[in-house]
Order: sequence, then structure tokens, then C-alpha cells
Amino acid sequence: MKLENVDGFSFDFTDALDAFVFDEKDKSKPTYHGQPMKAVDILVELESAYLYIEIKDFDDPNAYDAKLFNDDEDLKKKKDGFKWLKNYLKYKYRDSYLYRHAEQKVDKPIHYICLLTFDNALNTTMQKALRKELPVGKASNRWNQELVNSCQVVNLDKWNQHFPKWPASRAVGGAT
Amino acid sequence: MLKKIKFEKFTAFEKLEVEFSEGINIFVGENGTGKTHILKAAYAACDVSKSQKNLAEKITKVFLPSGEQIGRLAKRASVSTLGYVEIHRELADPKKVINIRLSLSNHTKLPEKASVSGAYKQWQEKPLESVYIPVKDMMANAPGFRSLYSLRNIHFEEVYADIIDRAFLGTLKGQADQSRKKLLEILQGAMDGKVINKNEEFFLKNKQGELEFTLLAEGIRKLALLWVLIQNGTLLKGSVLFWDEPETNLNPKLMRTVVEILIELQRMGVQIFLTTHDYIILKEFDLQTNADDKLRFHSLFRNKDSDEVEVASTDNYLNISPNTIDDTFGSFVDREIEKSMGGLGK
Repeated sequence: MKLENVDGFSFDFTDALDAFVFDEKDKSKPTYHGQPMKAVDILVELESAYLYIEIKDFDDPNAYDAKLFNDDEDLKKKKDGFKWLKNYLKYKYRDSYLYRHAEQKVDKPIHYICLLTFDNALNTTMQKALRKELPVGKASNRWNQELVNSCQVVNLDKWNQHFPKWPASRAVGGAT
Repeated sequence: MLKKIKFEKFTAFEKLEVEFSEGINIFVGENGTGKTHILKAAYAACDVSKSQKNLAEKITKVFLPSGEQIGRLAKRASVSTLGYVEIHRELADPKKVINIRLSLSNHTKLPEKASVSGAYKQWQEKPLESVYIPVKDMMANAPGFRSLYSLRNIHFEEVYADIIDRAFLGTLKGQADQSRKKLLEILQGAMDGKVINKNEEFFLKNKQGELEFTLLAEGIRKLALLWVLIQNGTLLKGSVLFWDEPETNLNPKLMRTVVEILIELQRMGVQIFLTTHDYIILKEFDLQTNADDKLRFHSLFRNKDSDEVEVASTDNYLNISPNTIDDTFGSFVDREIEKSMGGLGK
């Protein structure tokens, strides 16, 4: 199941039951989103799981590395950048989950995969923060089900290394 | 300025050629790929231009093969081996490139039996100021080390004696120029004091008094060494700095200062060579440099088929490949996906 040029990347989910642009803005399509909620880029239904996929292609990945800073103001700016991105990814997931809850389509484990153009070091930092804050798994003793089963933050190389059934590439002509 | 180094059947290298940046050269790669060997060979070549020593003798002292048998620096093989190291350098006035070469066989025992060829006379007519900072700190052990070393009573690579010599050079006469002054101030801020030496012993002096180096954190001693080398004029325009793993014993926060100083030195015209295993050092260079800075990353790796060491050089941080440092983080990503996605997408 192919999706062409979603935020600059093309995918082929070869074993998917369904795969579509989740934040669809085209009213004529049955998958039109149409609600004032944040939405991940792609939703994939597999036999045994759902994938929520969010893509971010940054011109300046350095803007988000909070480990490195030049002075307090710079640190604040960078931390804000990291925090902004983390919150952006977090709330996108949560709103998407709510939307799917209303559709009564949260009946399988959900994996949230963020495709970011960072190096692995930065991606592991982001993944750690997101896992904690989404949160991943049955985070509370009071919960009977989880909001999200796992969260991965990967670059294109890691994506293709781990998900050969879902090959991804940069779209010809870049982002739309 | 050094332009290039070539090896054939020398220590870890079957055949290797590295083109240097005139600014900062950063060597990355797994242990055993010869990063330090490149630095040591290039340093020995710089040092003989000033010390007027024989290259074979200097290389022997810097590498310190067993029994000081220079032939042990030939790449190990079951047959007789002839190897060499060749260093190319660009002279400023008149502008031209010259080179020197040290050739040896695995049967060569004494340094004087190895052959040195190329433009050795011209090489020594134009001295290159250079300094090699080894992994282990020597500043705290300076007292008495030099006299012991000169009596040949201790088994240390010569880079350890050399760095102490450089640190003990007298201070430059006159007022430090603006760029040097700025660097000294940055370092003074980071280490909270200045360095003084009394009878071959270094102290950090600040408002609280004088603190001997043995009581100082190793990371601060590194900043102090940089301070001394800048202050005494060793690191000036046209000089060459070699630094093996600057990250050793350095708090990650201080790395920002170290990288800032190194970039400024490059802007002043110092050529820099360093090795690192550290993500933060690499990333700091990536973040703090701008388009006018001259920076090249050299990734040393073993060819999977031949098992020989090769090099891939790039001026762009994101293009370092293979990048063993980021690959380590990549293995965390791998294990996380395998652990939590149970083979989905495979």
C-alpha cells in the first residue's frame, strides 16, 4: 500500500490492511480529518497492530540539541526548541488517539513511530523524553489499557534497516 | 602547514593516504585503527623541523617500539616488509609543497639504519612550531620528570617529555595581542585562575591562593595546559597542535570551552589535529563552527573484506561515515525497536 510524498517522504506498507494520510485536508476523501485536533501524518492498520507515523524533516537539526549550549540564553532557546518538538510530538499523538477512540478504532496495540532527520544520539534523547511523557505502556496502576504500546524515534536509515516491509525514501521533488 | 600523510606497510596501515585540512582535523574510528599513529607520525615530522633531530630517531622515541628497534614499526607480516611514512607540507614563502619520507624494513634495528629521504634540508630550514598533548596529563608530574627522562631512567614515549618542555617555555615578551588575550580570558573564566610555575611545579593561582596541580581536577589541568601554551606563545599563527582524546577526564560542560578555544586557534591560523571517541566533542564542533571555518572529519575504519585500515574524509558532520560514535547510539535505537516492536515490519 503506497503513500507518495507525505511531508517529503514516500512509503510502501506492503503488509498493511490499510494506510492513509491521517491529517487529510481534502474534503472529498473518505479519510478527511476535519476536526480542530492535532493529527499525526500517517495511520497504518496491520493485522496485529496500528502504526501512528509522524514525519519531521528539519533543515537545522542542531536547533533541537539541548545537550549543547553556549550560554544560559542559548541553552534556554535550545531547550525551548527541544521542549517544543517534544510537546508537538506528544500532543499530536494524544489528539490522534482521541480521534481514533471516537472512531472506536483503538482495539489493537499502537506503535508510534517518529521519522526525524536527526542523528541517532539526538533521536535516543527524544525517544526517552517521549516514552516518559506520552506515556508508553500501562503507566498508572489504575489503567486497564495502555495509550500506546511503544514509541520509536528513528531516522531514515534506521527506518529502512528495521522495517524492510515498509520501505521509505525521500520523495522525488521533496516536501509538498 | 601539513598537507598530507602517506603510509605504506607502517604500523597499522597497509596503505593509507590522508589529505589534511589547513584548519581542524578530527580523527574518529574504533580502537586499533591507528588514529594516534597518524598524529604521532605527523608530530614527529613537525618536531624535527625545529629540533633538527633525525626523523628516524624522533619517530622511534615517539612510538617507542620494544627495545627501540625501529624495524618493529613496519607492518607485521610473515615475510620481509619494507614500509614508509611520508609527510607533505606546504611552505608559505615561496608557496610550494615539499615532503620527507622515512623508509624502513622489519629487519632494521637501529634508527640510523633507516633511511630518510625527500627535501629534508628545506624541511629543517623552515621550522614548524608544534605541540602534542598526550592522553595522560603530565602537568602534575612535571617536577623532576625532565631530568629523569633525560637520564633515560623511565620508559615513556617522548611526547610526554616534549609536552613538559613546551609548558616550561618562558612567557612571550610584551603585551599579548587581542585574540590571544581573549582566549586566555575564556580559559581563566572556566578554570577560575591563572597558572604560575615555581621550581618546575605548576600552581593555579586565584583569590583563594595557590593550588598545586596534584590537587586539581584533571579536566582543569587540561584547560591550564592550554592556557600555558597560548600564554607562552607555543600556539601562535603557523603552529600545529596535536591533541589525543581531549575529552579524557573532561566534564562535558567544559568541552564547550575547549572546542571554543580550538576553533578560535584555528581562526588565528593554528593547524589542529585531534582524535576523539566523544559525541559531544564532535557535535560541539558541528554547532560552533560557521561556513568560514576549516574543519575536516577523518573516519578510520577496517575494510570488511581486506581487514585493512581505510579512511573516509568529509567536511560535513552529517556525512561522517562510518561514524562509530553515532553508531553506538544507533545500537540503542536497534535494541529498543527489537525489544518493543517484536519483529513488526521485518
